[in-house]
Amino acid sequence: MHLNITDKFYKNIRGVAFSLIGLLVILFFYLAYVQIIQEDFLANHPLNHRALELAAKTQHGTIVDLHGEKLAVSIPDGSGGFKRKYPYGPITGHVVGYDSAKYGKTGIESTYSGDLTGLNNPLRHLGPITSIWKNQPGNNVGLTIDARLQETAYKALGTKRGAIVAISPRTGAILAMVSKPSFDPNSIDQSWDTVSQAADSPLLNRSVQGLYPPGSTLKVMIAEAVLAEKIADRNRIFNCNGALKIGPDYILTESNHQAHGKINLEEALAVSCNITFGTLSLELGRNRMEKTFERYGFNRPLGNDLQELSSRLPDFSRLSDGELAQTGIGQGSLLVTPIRMAMLASSFANQGIMMQPYLVNQVTAPDGTVVKRFTPKKWLQPSSPQLADIIKQMMITVVNAGTGSGTRLSGISVAGKTGTAENPHGASHAWFIGFAPADDPQIAIAVIVENGGSGGETAAPIARQIFAQALR
Amino acid sequence: MGLYKMMDDSLQLQERGLLLIASLIVITGVLAVSLATNSLDSKILALLGCLIACWLSIHLILRHSSHRNGDPFFLPLAVMLIGIGLTMVLRLKPALFLYQSIWVIAGLFCFLFSVFFFRHLEQLSQYKYLCGMIGIVLLLIAIIFGVDIGGHRSWVILGPVRFQPSEFAKIFIILFLAAYLTERHELLTSATKHYGPLVLPHPRFIAPLLAIWGLAMVMFVVQRDLGSALLYFGITIIMVYIASGRLTYVLLGIILFFIGSFACYKLYAHVQVRVDIWLNPWADPNGKAYQIVQSLFALGSGGILGSGLTYGFPQMIPEVHTDFIFAAIGEELGFAGSSAVLISYILIIYRAFKAALETINPFSILVAAGLAVSFALQIFLIIGGVTKFFPLTGITLPFVSYGGSSMVANFILLGMLFAISEERPKHAP
Repeated sequence: MHLNITDKFYKNIRGVAFSLIGLLVILFFYLAYVQIIQEDFLANHPLNHRALELAAKTQHGTIVDLHGEKLAVSIPDGSGGFKRKYPYGPITGHVVGYDSAKYGKTGIESTYSGDLTGLNNPLRHLGPITSIWKNQPGNNVGLTIDARLQETAYKALGTKRGAIVAISPRTGAILAMVSKPSFDPNSIDQSWDTVSQAADSPLLNRSVQGLYPPGSTLKVMIAEAVLAEKIADRNRIFNCNGALKIGPDYILTESNHQAHGKINLEEALAVSCNITFGTLSLELGRNRMEKTFERYGFNRPLGNDLQELSSRLPDFSRLSDGELAQTGIGQGSLLVTPIRMAMLASSFANQGIMMQPYLVNQVTAPDGTVVKRFTPKKWLQPSSPQLADIIKQMMITVVNAGTGSGTRLSGISVAGKTGTAENPHGASHAWFIGFAPADDPQIAIAVIVENGGSGGETAAPIARQIFAQALR
Repeated sequence: MGLYKMMDDSLQLQERGLLLIASLIVITGVLAVSLATNSLDSKILALLGCLIACWLSIHLILRHSSHRNGDPFFLPLAVMLIGIGLTMVLRLKPALFLYQSIWVIAGLFCFLFSVFFFRHLEQLSQYKYLCGMIGIVLLLIAIIFGVDIGGHRSWVILGPVRFQPSEFAKIFIILFLAAYLTERHELLTSATKHYGPLVLPHPRFIAPLLAIWGLAMVMFVVQRDLGSALLYFGITIIMVYIASGRLTYVLLGIILFFIGSFACYKLYAHVQVRVDIWLNPWADPNGKAYQIVQSLFALGSGGILGSGLTYGFPQMIPEVHTDFIFAAIGEELGFAGSSAVLISYILIIYRAFKAALETINPFSILVAAGLAVSFALQIFLIIGGVTKFFPLTGITLPFVSYGGSSMVANFILLGMLFAISEERPKHAP
């Protein structure tokens, strides 16, 4: 009898044991699925803050300028972690960016975060073994920025709002990129409320994200277009009587209400004649105007880590004659960023070739080995070397005998174009684009001073200081 | 006689060898954490020495008493799990390391006591109703006087002492069920009534089953403790099945549980929340599903080899040192560590079922099987919960989670299993 009971119990227990242990074996495979198959999904999930925390524990790489000058360094914060320090403070605020646990990252700190923190190391999957090199700092990032030039540009803008972009025309390397007002990335956590809510938007990087009407600086592109389309040659004479009636109810005028009389294209550019360029824009027409903007890449994103805001181009097919003429003198609904205008100037400095603008020269490991190196890349060729040279000559005349006289430097020939862009928000924006030395261009520049008034009076002298520093 | 002696010696050597390996795991773990945090503390090392001395002396005492036939795997497996638990407690909450060590020592002594006490297990079956009463009273105490600590209303506070009665109630309920079922198993099997196509036993005999089902439902609703409810109910139906061999009971039990759970789901918002979180944690990852989502992040970030002790971020999971300690193991020791823990539990459960199958006393068989079932269900509920395999229930991870009640209760349970394994015939391998 006893044996009977126990045998029955044994049989039932075996069944239960198989089922329960089977259930736990299924759980074992499920655990393997979560930890092995789903590993990447879970480890890289945006809500998983482990990467951020890990980054806070490692010493980030240093960001240096063209000459090795330190722009961002990690220093111990005294409690096992590291704190970011920016020796140039607000001067490099927008380019280098900030790195805040609370407010995230911007600029190079954000776009090169993986390199700087060392978290994009492919050996991450080796588990505890990685702690052998975990205490190593992240990779260093070398910028194309020249800190001294950056400082000059920052100081040259003074207390005015605006932006300056300086690039090397032959390579596309960005030498200086300043936006004002700026902020101090060293104290971003403390000053966040003030800085993020200020009416003059100090956090906005105006050089790549500020949208402005280009004003008369655009006339260099229109001049190139009319020559390329053979609408006019250098000898054609225009007659400016101070006003141009377009259609039944629109009259285009000169900004200072003076008549320029009989002038050729070069003279029209030098004095920035609206009547001449309005007339030429009408002759160019909507289609060819649109094609010109496309040729110079205004409709094409730069597609790298500059975080540029794209230009606002008008819907060309729907432009009235008056609006078409306005577009040709850089007014109307057209809005562009300062970096685009610096690139426009650089194309005439570089035989009609626009290089891809870039900010990072190289990424190096802590031991100095180069991890990534960036080489100059041709982006577009909007113009021919011959035409670019003609426009360059005209731009030299602008500086030597026209509105750009404020940039004249002794012994160095400068090419440029000023602009005074009317806008609905108050006084005109002052523009200057150009390059120097004209015979061997080292630097191309765009300067904009918001509500700064006349480009020749406000922006040109600022450009002069930067040329002087760059060509010393 | 000489042959038995030799076999006893081989069991002794086996247990000693395994204990030494387990001790090595503890030493390595504690040293790794101490060295990584630069806090090598002589007090911790002294405590560690004390702990190792404790389990080695228990091993010697047990192997030199009159019974020498106990399963040599139980103690080393428990010690290994304790080692991983202590390492994780030291890493997560260093301040609790001392307390946890004290609980381990207390647990080891309870284990020894339990082994000696339950060598006369058969006598206990006479007091089955007392056991049943104690079990139910302990559960009722928790239901009525339960205080919410860390999200569970299963704590009872008596002056300076805080404990979880449900951890201990388990043992008494299993003893009661085993005694009741050995006595009545024939009636459960044969005395039946026909309800249409269903063949059920006489209501008198399923009364205890219904009573425990009712108790489980009350725990579920009042204490919001789905885990304990499932655990007790599961133990009951499976033990009834073992005694009767009738799947009808299991089916009936599952149907009853689903009816009850469905009613609770419809009636109570907190039950709905639990289930909804389980079905789709990504709908509210920063709110209600925060804990489970953080647990999954920890497991996933650990990957195969883990981040290494102290190099992960398990503190991002709330209550990580108790209910979610498994996720912390998964993060810092990887799948390698978490699967080692799961396999250790599976081995303990396997040996527990083996003890049930090797003993000959029907009451002991049912006790051992009941303990094995309770252990298996508990492991499934907690590990299934933190990995989102099953809805999350607040149950501790035996021998690993921080906490005194759980530690002591599980050591008593292990002691019972050890005592039962000593009953096996001498010739059993």
